[in-house]
Amino acid sequence: MVSNGESAVELRRVAKRYADIVAVDYIDLDVKHGEIFGLLGPNASGKSTTLKIILGLIKSDSGSVKVLGTNAEEDPVAVKRQVGYVPETPRLYEFLTGLEYLDFVGDIYAVEMSEKKMRIEEHLEALDLEGREGDMISSYSQGMKQKIALISAFLHKPKLLILDEPLSGLDPKSARIVKDLLRKLATHDVTTIMSTHILEIAQAMCDRIAIMYEGRLLALGNMEELRQKARLPGSDLEEIFLRLTGTGDIREVVEALLK
Amino acid sequence: MKWKNVVRLISVETKSGRLIRGQRLRRYRESRVFQYLLYGGACVLGLAIGLAIGSFYNGTSDSELKSLIYQGAYHFFPSLPTLILISSMVFTMMAQIQRAGVRFSIQPQYWLPITWEEHTLASTLAHIIGAPLVSIILVGSAIAAFSIFLGELPLATFTISASLASAFLASTTTEIFRVLQVRLTGAVYKASGKAAVWVRFIGSLLFLIAFYVVWFALTSGAGFVSLIEVVAGGQEAVWFIPYLWLGLTLASFMSGLLAQTIVFLLASLLFILVLFYVAVGLNARFGLYEPPAITVSRGVYAPKVGLLGKLGFSSLEAAVIRKDFKAFTRRRELMYIFIMPLVFILMPLMQQLGILGEPPATESSRFLFAWILLGPGVIMAVMLGTMIIGEEGGAVWHFFSSPITARSLVKCKYAFIVIFSCVVTLVCGVVGILVTCASPDITVALLIESILLIFALGAVSLGAGIRGADFTEVPRPRMVRPLTVLVTMLLCLILASAIFSPLLLHATTMGYLTIPVNLPKINLYVAVSISAVIAAVIAFVFYRIALENAKEFLIKAEI
Repeated sequence: MVSNGESAVELRRVAKRYADIVAVDYIDLDVKHGEIFGLLGPNASGKSTTLKIILGLIKSDSGSVKVLGTNAEEDPVAVKRQVGYVPETPRLYEFLTGLEYLDFVGDIYAVEMSEKKMRIEEHLEALDLEGREGDMISSYSQGMKQKIALISAFLHKPKLLILDEPLSGLDPKSARIVKDLLRKLATHDVTTIMSTHILEIAQAMCDRIAIMYEGRLLALGNMEELRQKARLPGSDLEEIFLRLTGTGDIREVVEALLK
Repeated sequence: MKWKNVVRLISVETKSGRLIRGQRLRRYRESRVFQYLLYGGACVLGLAIGLAIGSFYNGTSDSELKSLIYQGAYHFFPSLPTLILISSMVFTMMAQIQRAGVRFSIQPQYWLPITWEEHTLASTLAHIIGAPLVSIILVGSAIAAFSIFLGELPLATFTISASLASAFLASTTTEIFRVLQVRLTGAVYKASGKAAVWVRFIGSLLFLIAFYVVWFALTSGAGFVSLIEVVAGGQEAVWFIPYLWLGLTLASFMSGLLAQTIVFLLASLLFILVLFYVAVGLNARFGLYEPPAITVSRGVYAPKVGLLGKLGFSSLEAAVIRKDFKAFTRRRELMYIFIMPLVFILMPLMQQLGILGEPPATESSRFLFAWILLGPGVIMAVMLGTMIIGEEGGAVWHFFSSPITARSLVKCKYAFIVIFSCVVTLVCGVVGILVTCASPDITVALLIESILLIFALGAVSLGAGIRGADFTEVPRPRMVRPLTVLVTMLLCLILASAIFSPLLLHATTMGYLTIPVNLPKINLYVAVSISAVIAAVIAFVFYRIALENAKEFLIKAEI
């Protein structure tokens, strides 16, 4: 894939190894501005490592990473200022209250005082956290913690959202709100890269999807392009995924387990 | 009860020590030699001590000394179970204080088919592993070796068994205390509403003060010897206290009272069994009790610039400092940082008030003042510096993913160390002035000196703390690698001596300290000025090192 100068994220020949394990194997990737981009793959396929390389959390062994026009490895702080990130299992500061935590994050991103107050209150109300914002996070359920992590990613109006399993633990109403919010943000040119194992969500939300396997990009495109690649016309993302990753023949596995 | 489950649970607890940052955990191989080195070392040392005392006992012709040693051993043997009980209680309680505040219900043992008996037994035995077991092995092997010379090997074997039972008794008591404490504090938080955070903080400090007052009173100086005397001579008078029954069993055995020995032995075993099942029952009832949510604030949210903003810190730096302040006053496992200033204030105060024996002579007041003023703040700066990055634990990803630069990270963490330690120094200074009535020139000089030490050693320990941070959180937050702590302590000791040397020189030339060499006289304020120059150079160099370490730390982003 060749960059046309409009990409929000550009990866060129990016590779990362951990001792003898290849986490990312020389991948090229372009994510356009205002796109909702899904990164799928089986466990340990390199999705989270790729997301961390984009954010500058992990330095790649080779290749180049450009995020919103900035080289992520040369100036990671400039990149981080424009990115909102939710890790797979966000460990929050449990001794802070929800409100104190969001206030902390707002200050970290230097959000202006009145805007911070307004945005925190709006998001708390939207995600049904009003009334619990003064409680310590240690008493929150997993879903409530996930909501706080999501709000903290949206708080500073980032141009790029990197979300690892963003809807994990959310109740249906909140999940719907987050999905609609991401779509709305996309129309305002906010790019989202999300990793998920819930293929229905990826199929419903993402403009384009990349499927990773053993550190490589197996397929990349919209649903129609993926169907063509898998030679499965009219099929859903689950069938495409299982076909492409070679994990389609699961009947034998299940029968072996039942013995 | 499945013993295999108990063994497996204990091994899970002991293997948690593997999770140290920087260790390669793939294809993990454990050196069994290294694993048992501490216990083997204690055994060898104990045997050597026992053999040395035994050889001396055999070799000496002084019958009076021989009789004294024999009498000493005769007093010591029956006191040992009670002494082990007290020390094990302290060790296990301290381990309990440092345990992570995270919910333990996330651990597999709560959903695996493991009974509460198995869980409680494993937890109780796991508490003994470490310092309590090492001390039993050390003392036990020493008395075993010495008893050969006395011809009292059966008594030594009995004493060691009773000591092990005492440690178990202590650990079971701590287990009961732990469950009750969780339940009771939960009720207190619920009752205290918005003040719960401060109730918890002040309650924890009061607990630490009470704990250390008792500990110092029992073990400091003459206190320890008198404790043995009291235990040896007095435990029969208070025979109705079940915790002393193991010691009384030994005392009865040594007096040749067979029936009494059997009665106390059976009573001890019954007491241990009852206590264990009380712990099991409490665990079954409250083991997975979730304390109520602590509501810290209600009402309208109104963000402010705050004092830190006015002092020139950016919003990011001020946010991190505020977050750290809340961490140290709200996280139970971090509150032990306050032990050091408490120890430094309590010990001399108790000495001064005559609680630890005879009060010291009045001329020692100058040194007492220096001790109170210099010690707490400086040690706190070193402790905070080494742990301030590692205390982030799993939440360290906030630093890796947020737009924080190495410069900002070091600046805000260093500021927190300095501010916090200086406040402690001021509080201790007030206590010192009230107790010792120190002269104004010494007060000012020592105050400046302690602030210089805080600035210099804070930078040293912060640089080391960034490099040696350990983010493991369960079962207890490690915060910093042990080797880093050791090296930092040694380095800080050397550098503190360098900074303090001009003042020592002044003290010597003024006759406060006597040495056999004639040295040129040095004015107090000249000495302080030289100290300031040394401290400034050290602070500058190590601040730069901390910056370099922070740059590497943020690039590596180990998450």
